[in-house]
Amino acid sequence: MSAANFVQLLLSGLAMGAIYALTATGLFIAHLATTRLNFGQGDFLMFAAYLSMALLLAGVPVLLVMVVVLVVLALMGWGLERFAIRPLDRMRALVGGQYSWVLTTMGVALIIQNVVTLLWGKSSQYSPPLFSANRQNVVQVFGAGVFVEELLVIVAALAVILLFYALLYRTRQGRAIYAVAFSPDTAALLGIDVRRTVVLVFVMASVLAAISGVLVGPIVTVQPHMGLVFTVKAFAVASLGGFANPLGVLVGAILFGVAESFSNYVNSAFGDLYPLLLVMALLVIKPSGLFGEAKTDVR
Amino acid sequence: MSVETHNSPWLRNGAYAAMAVAIAVFPLLISNTFHIHLAQTLLYTTIAVIGLNLLLGLSGQMSMGQAGFYAIGAYGSALLTAKLDWPIAAAMIAGIALAGVAGCLVGLVALRTRGLYLAMATLAFGFMVEIATQRWVDLTGGTMGVYGIPGLDFGSSTMGKTYYLWVVGAVYLAVQIASDYVMNSRIRRNLLALKENESAARTAGINVPAWRTVVFAVSSLAAGTAGAFFTHQNAYINSDAFTLNLTLTMLIATVIGGLGTSYGPLIGTLITLMIAELIASLYDVSFMINGFILLTVLLLFPQGAIGLVQQAGKFLFGRTGAGPETPTAMPDRPVALPAAPPSNGPTLVVENLTKRYGGVVAVRDVSLSIERGTVHALIGPNGAGKSTLINCVSGLYRADSGCILLNGRDVTGLPAHARAHMGLARTFQNLQLVSSLTVMENVQLGIRSNRSIVGDFSSWLLSSSFEAEERARALALLQQFGMAHLAAARPEDLPYGHRKLAELARAIAEEPAVMLLDEPVAGLNDREAQEIADVIRRIRDSGTSILLVEHNMEFVMKLADRVTVLDYGERIAQGAPEQVQKDPRVVEAYLGGSLEQSAGKLEAAS
Amino acid sequence: MAIKHSGALALLTTLALSIGSASAENVKIGVVQGLSGPPAITDFGESYLQGIKLAVKDYEAKGGKHKIELVVYDDEANPQKAVSLVQRLMQNDKVPVIIGTVSSGNVLAFAPIMQKAGVPLVAGPSIATNITAQFIDQSPSYIFRCSMVEKFQIESMLDWGTKTFKKIGLVHSTTGYAVFAAKEIQEGLKARNVQLVAVESAAPNVSDLTPQLLKMKEAGAELVLNFHESFELIYRPMSKLDYRPTIAGNWGLSSMKVLQIVGQKEIEGTVMGQALDMALDGSKAFVARMETEYGKAFRWPVIAALGYDAGQVVLRALDTAKTIDPKGVRDALESVDGIKAISATPEKPFGPKDHECLDREHVFLGVWKSGQVVRLKY
Repeated sequence: MSAANFVQLLLSGLAMGAIYALTATGLFIAHLATTRLNFGQGDFLMFAAYLSMALLLAGVPVLLVMVVVLVVLALMGWGLERFAIRPLDRMRALVGGQYSWVLTTMGVALIIQNVVTLLWGKSSQYSPPLFSANRQNVVQVFGAGVFVEELLVIVAALAVILLFYALLYRTRQGRAIYAVAFSPDTAALLGIDVRRTVVLVFVMASVLAAISGVLVGPIVTVQPHMGLVFTVKAFAVASLGGFANPLGVLVGAILFGVAESFSNYVNSAFGDLYPLLLVMALLVIKPSGLFGEAKTDVR
Repeated sequence: MSVETHNSPWLRNGAYAAMAVAIAVFPLLISNTFHIHLAQTLLYTTIAVIGLNLLLGLSGQMSMGQAGFYAIGAYGSALLTAKLDWPIAAAMIAGIALAGVAGCLVGLVALRTRGLYLAMATLAFGFMVEIATQRWVDLTGGTMGVYGIPGLDFGSSTMGKTYYLWVVGAVYLAVQIASDYVMNSRIRRNLLALKENESAARTAGINVPAWRTVVFAVSSLAAGTAGAFFTHQNAYINSDAFTLNLTLTMLIATVIGGLGTSYGPLIGTLITLMIAELIASLYDVSFMINGFILLTVLLLFPQGAIGLVQQAGKFLFGRTGAGPETPTAMPDRPVALPAAPPSNGPTLVVENLTKRYGGVVAVRDVSLSIERGTVHALIGPNGAGKSTLINCVSGLYRADSGCILLNGRDVTGLPAHARAHMGLARTFQNLQLVSSLTVMENVQLGIRSNRSIVGDFSSWLLSSSFEAEERARALALLQQFGMAHLAAARPEDLPYGHRKLAELARAIAEEPAVMLLDEPVAGLNDREAQEIADVIRRIRDSGTSILLVEHNMEFVMKLADRVTVLDYGERIAQGAPEQVQKDPRVVEAYLGGSLEQSAGKLEAAS
Repeated sequence: MAIKHSGALALLTTLALSIGSASAENVKIGVVQGLSGPPAITDFGESYLQGIKLAVKDYEAKGGKHKIELVVYDDEANPQKAVSLVQRLMQNDKVPVIIGTVSSGNVLAFAPIMQKAGVPLVAGPSIATNITAQFIDQSPSYIFRCSMVEKFQIESMLDWGTKTFKKIGLVHSTTGYAVFAAKEIQEGLKARNVQLVAVESAAPNVSDLTPQLLKMKEAGAELVLNFHESFELIYRPMSKLDYRPTIAGNWGLSSMKVLQIVGQKEIEGTVMGQALDMALDGSKAFVARMETEYGKAFRWPVIAALGYDAGQVVLRALDTAKTIDPKGVRDALESVDGIKAISATPEKPFGPKDHECLDREHVFLGVWKSGQVVRLKY
């Protein structure tokens, strides 16, 4: 393999890995504070991609598009928590209620998919680029061609995750999330508004889906059922990282994206199998992910 | 139902017979073969859902890979019949066995992971099987499928569908009966216990890894059975049938029917099949309808269809016989506890035990020994290593060095459940009662049964006195604590003191030689603490040795025959209570500050 | 409790299923199509169904002999579902004929059941080669098809490809359909003494084909055969790899959706199997009608045309059948004549030993030229 091709595959893996990282960070933050997550995270991403596509095609300026998509998705995150997750609290004690969120959030995902097909049709669609005149805007990096939008995705994902990291460890609100994660009861005693924090994490998760949706539209084609693949891969990535910290998620995502790109090159017939094997093997060797702490539940 | 207290085999077996008759007669009365086809699908899908119900509803393990097992059963049977000309029955059994083997393997992975990681691992497994069936075209034919699979029709084109329904109906009934047995026996109690807290379950004598693997294997066998039946229903399969959607459909059926209930799988599968048929022509909004149904069921009827029926029943007929009745009140008076087995020398010996976490030594070179029928207290300031020691003794932690002898036998290398079986019982600082079991069932968890599975099953199937002895013993124990009238209550409905007593009763039911009590009176008022102290004395008098970890000095000094004091993981004193109380090192460690002052405090406490 | 439920099953399902079945005077046509799920399925299914619906509309506007009722079910491209729905159509809705479906695997799943039950099937838009062939020797065969036939489009393409290019590569998806297509391509090339320079595949749900196209570039393929159902993906990495081979492949490449996503400039020169000649006035008129009828939802002229023709053929058979029952409709289908087809389907599509609307000579190659698919001359 030539060096240029190596860079080519690496960059294309990094771009997808960056999207996985953003999506998975959304799963991570919700899981951190509530031990639940949005199984429709990928569908939120899909909806964001469609919304931004529709607005861009309608001639709305890019920055305004971003603001609108972020606001709409934030509202959706709030709605998800309010109507599909919070009501489950009263059934905690019921047999098996602990996994109900998988199905309620999936129900919401199905509704979103259907709404999109009713609004925008069942076909794949083309989403215009954000900052380039056309979709073929290529720059050369170490002899490999790469789309400006792909670079944008990588840079934006890194920036967002670093910002996120800072938010989590440097701000009062971030520490509140960790406190809630440690113990909601203790957090409440410390004067933290637990309910508000829980709403906040789902809004944040949704906003992350919005960012990835806006970014991913121009580098892939959007279609109403693309979400599940992103959810599953983000889930795999978050498990790889161990649901432990956003940095672990980032490392997991990059590993997964690059592994995917190279395994498709080496043996394309089973290109999607190898990353899964990697995840499975890692879960066997390190049952709580790369950076997760093994917890024995001695009380 | 699951909380039934009395076994009524005649009623139940009558119901099975009626179901058998219904299955036998149905295809003869119905001329529309499509309805027969649907009934076939209902029955074999229910088998898979019953497996998932045991896995998720009882053991609490989330599998997102059931379609994988289903596919293995289906392809195993399809390929063996189509390519190697095996007879259908042999091929189906082999296919199902293959699914079971895969289930064991995934179950072993499952042992290492929990919760979401387990969901991810099983999801990955499901995808791997999907990829294999789709891509290994030379073997599976991919989405173009396997040809030449014989149909399960016994060579009859007119009666074939009927015969098929009878066979799948018989298998379904067998699986349903087995599932009903599980739902009414100690298996359900054990699974619910390990689902809620594995450590507590292990110390109560449940071999958690074995149970978890077995239930995984059972659920994969069930899924494989459904897959094998699916193969021979249509005499054709291709890889499009085994996607994540299949797993999700099974999950939805499990939850919609009512997770952890006997007939939830049947009802849930029926509902999902009917919904699918109803909306087959509403393709433009089918996703939305499915989504709304999911939300409605989970948010408004979280207990599923079965729960809804029960609620409706309660509403219409008030509390019917379905609920556990209150046992007739007998005078609650102390009865002698069963005597602990005699022993030569100390019942529990800990020798030079050391436990490290990374570089930190939590327990260093601690030794102690407890004579039969004595109370040995373990005290020390917070962080002294008491909990670590008790966890090492009970087997939850593995000691780095040193050894533990129980009745003279070295148990250092044994897992917690094996130690429990050898006569080691424990309670927890923060109560570990199983919240989804009644108080009585919690006590029953402690009772060792030496009936084999077969014996237990036939007793359940045929005898009206199934588990009568166990229930009587559990009730007798509760009576001693004045709690007989609470037997049918759930732990969370009891006051804290009663819960502590219930946990003690569970431990006593194990008839242990040694009992480890971790802060038994923490959070209790004086009167309740007094009650617990009485109980502990009676346990001691029955010959059981007690290792007591407690902060309440008054309580310790009154009860203990001997006291060991730990500080920073090291034993700093050991001896009779009054002796230890005066030990300057203890006073120093315990209270810091000036010696006289501290001594005064300790005096006052005693 | 369980007894009541299993006993009530029959009652409940009958009740459930009676919704949707209407008066008995109508003649029902059963349709099974992939109508929900990924675009790789629904684009085909919806387009074909649009054609059928327009054919029924035209038939009724002309005062057709029967009042037609289409009973349409969605099989979600799931064989288990498809088999169940076909039984429902035969047993419950009692349709005399069924049209469907997208997924060849599904057709292969239910065709034997229909053959056994003696209910005629007009398959489409599934294109696997062996669908009618495996039943044609049974007398009578109940399995017909109005769709592209994989082998025919591949043969045409290889004739042209081997003549025009030296180095040919293949990218296909990992679905069984595409794997079988790949096999047919390799057999066809072997017969022509040509070797593929590279063969790569990708899962149906991938979002990027950069690694695969990179392999093509390294192998120096001048012609890349594209048999991946997400037809637009192959074009995406071209500009960043600075590699622009000629693309040829499945008839799906003629979709207007692919044109919209890929862009007129990028898709120019792409070749695919075709059965609708856009140079003909009839075709242009049909497309114009479909556009007014379905607006933006219309996206695929050739599939819709074949759906329309399948509808025409079935309706004609219903008109000429001696009895409106499966056997009668089957016999009528075999002798239908005088069809004015939109696609390349001949006036008399079927015969006792020919159950394909399109034969080898009707399939030709189309090429994208200035935003139009026209006949490729070679």
